[in-house]
Amino acid sequence: MKRTAKIPLKERTLLGKPGAGGRGVGRPVVVNSEKRVVKPEKISPEHEKRELELFKNAVRELKAEFEKLKGISDEPDVSEVVESQIQVLNDPELTRLIKAKISDKNVKAVYAIFTSFNDYIQLLEQAEADWLKDRTVDIVSIRDQLIDVVRNHQPDYIDAENAVIFAEELSPTEMIKLSRFNLAGIVTQKGGLTSHVVILAHSLGIPCVIGVEWKRMRPEEFTTVMIDGDMGSVLFEPTENLKKEYRNYEQEKAEKEKNALQWVQKRDETKCGSPFTIRGNVEFISELPKIASYGAKGIGLLRTETILFESGGFNVDTQVEFYRQVAEASLPHPVIIRLFDAGGDKLPENHEEEHNPFLGWRGIRMLLDKPELLRNQYEAILRVSGEFPGKIKILVPMISHMEQIEQAKEALKEVKHSLENEGVKFDHTIEFGIMIEVPGIAMMAGEAAQEVDFFSIGTNDLTQYMLAADRGNSKISSLYQPSHPSIWRIINRVVEASETAGIPVSVCGEMASNPMYAACFLGMGLTELSMTTNSIPGVKQMLCSHNLDEYQARAAQVLDARNCSEVDTIFQDWAKEVELQQV
Amino acid sequence: MKRKKVKVLNEAGLHARPSSVLVKTASGFESEFEIEMYGYRVNGKSILGLMTLAAEQGAEMELILDGPDEDEAMKTLTKLFKDKFEME
Repeated sequence: MKRTAKIPLKERTLLGKPGAGGRGVGRPVVVNSEKRVVKPEKISPEHEKRELELFKNAVRELKAEFEKLKGISDEPDVSEVVESQIQVLNDPELTRLIKAKISDKNVKAVYAIFTSFNDYIQLLEQAEADWLKDRTVDIVSIRDQLIDVVRNHQPDYIDAENAVIFAEELSPTEMIKLSRFNLAGIVTQKGGLTSHVVILAHSLGIPCVIGVEWKRMRPEEFTTVMIDGDMGSVLFEPTENLKKEYRNYEQEKAEKEKNALQWVQKRDETKCGSPFTIRGNVEFISELPKIASYGAKGIGLLRTETILFESGGFNVDTQVEFYRQVAEASLPHPVIIRLFDAGGDKLPENHEEEHNPFLGWRGIRMLLDKPELLRNQYEAILRVSGEFPGKIKILVPMISHMEQIEQAKEALKEVKHSLENEGVKFDHTIEFGIMIEVPGIAMMAGEAAQEVDFFSIGTNDLTQYMLAADRGNSKISSLYQPSHPSIWRIINRVVEASETAGIPVSVCGEMASNPMYAACFLGMGLTELSMTTNSIPGVKQMLCSHNLDEYQARAAQVLDARNCSEVDTIFQDWAKEVELQQV
Repeated sequence: MKRKKVKVLNEAGLHARPSSVLVKTASGFESEFEIEMYGYRVNGKSILGLMTLAAEQGAEMELILDGPDEDEAMKTLTKLFKDKFEME
């Protein structure tokens, strides 16, 4: 039964932290509430068929995955182990047990799988033979993999149109699935300000509130919820007055956007006539129209993980299709394609968990270990470069060692060579750049600049690596401060190194979306910035309305600062000044 | 229906590989296949069921087959036990 607005306002309000700005009104939808624990959730009889189908498909999918593993190695031992895993999935008794639980006890497939496996696991754990104990570990792992597969399919039957999503946390894969709907907002219990959910919500323009607890409350029992991503508030069953206020806000927002968009037509130069370039950070095809309408001069950072997640096979053709669409939408401007940066919090669920993923196997580290993945991506990029000569550039993420630059270049050379033999047309002088996000390579910027065509500074990762603060960990995310003087000093160092070597350098992290920070970057000698398209008009307004010497003076102050609060004060004072000038 | 007693001859008992071979072979026959051991009965085509038997070397069990190809199945399956599942 739906509750009504008669419940006191206080009990209809939840407070969290602002994630991504904007307000939204929609119906509450709770997803993956069962993520961590398997609860005995009941289903209504009409959903029985769906749950049985989920189970059947998950078994089929996992079996296919196991079969693929068999092909990887010629070792008879490997295929025997895989064969016995498949036998577990095929087990007639287990299958019967799971189906009976779904049909007779009306529980969700996940719970039926969990408990049926556990019946056997318990029996096996009592056994004394060592080989049985080893096998039990295998069976636990098969159970968990099967549950993962079922869960991966679940958001598919969620109707999230005009919904405000409530989740403990959302993985990038889930975000991508949900992004197909027109979402009114996202509310999560976990996640820091720079977590992937927040970044994606920001770039998709979805209001988002994080760090919200709704333990006692059941959001799905309400009909309407209003969220405010700037205030960090969530209100169930808003009154008519509030709804009216919301409609006014929508109008005002549209007005503001129209004003900001006027700046789009302006030339990209400071008041004194010093030129700069602003490009967009893009991940989804749906973001492409904003490239031109928000005045981006092409794409400074094309994230390619989505294709990895969505197609699974990441074959050359799928990639070519994606890059071509992006390149066409960006003409006459360039597109900088960042190689797969899977890893860390962006890992798709079914992978091995690492103790410390941010310091782990990601970006170029993974690609060099997966030569086929790297080759395919290079090939797809090169093929598209033939259609758009001079417009496509390659950007390599997570470089920490000089040797990796050499290896990544060598791999590119090999792909070029084989395409040449096949007679494929491509851009022979395609530019090759690296991300500067690991302090270790930032310190070597002078040497690295000799080896590559350009640098792109990823401030999000650079900040967390410089300060050893995990941006997704809410206990210490307050230490993740881009205002830490060391961040500005190391960026300045990289800028100086690239100036000396005569190669272009840009900043593509979230720091560039802050108009004051962007202005300070210009003062440090940077002329290229890349940011989420939504932030471009605001940043451009700031950059166009002042003189370069003002930015230089602020940059000098920031580079002199002794601590975070000094840096913060410099920017706060400056923001006040700028505001006064505008009035 | 056919019934026949067999003994596990493999040194390590009916461990992972023999039980896998047994399930694979048994699944190739149409007949229903059950194994009884110490009054405990499991589906012989169920790998998990076989594992719960935790049959050690020397364990005696009864193979129970029922179906159109029960004779041939019994011949093949008893031979597997005798040949130590072609492993040792």
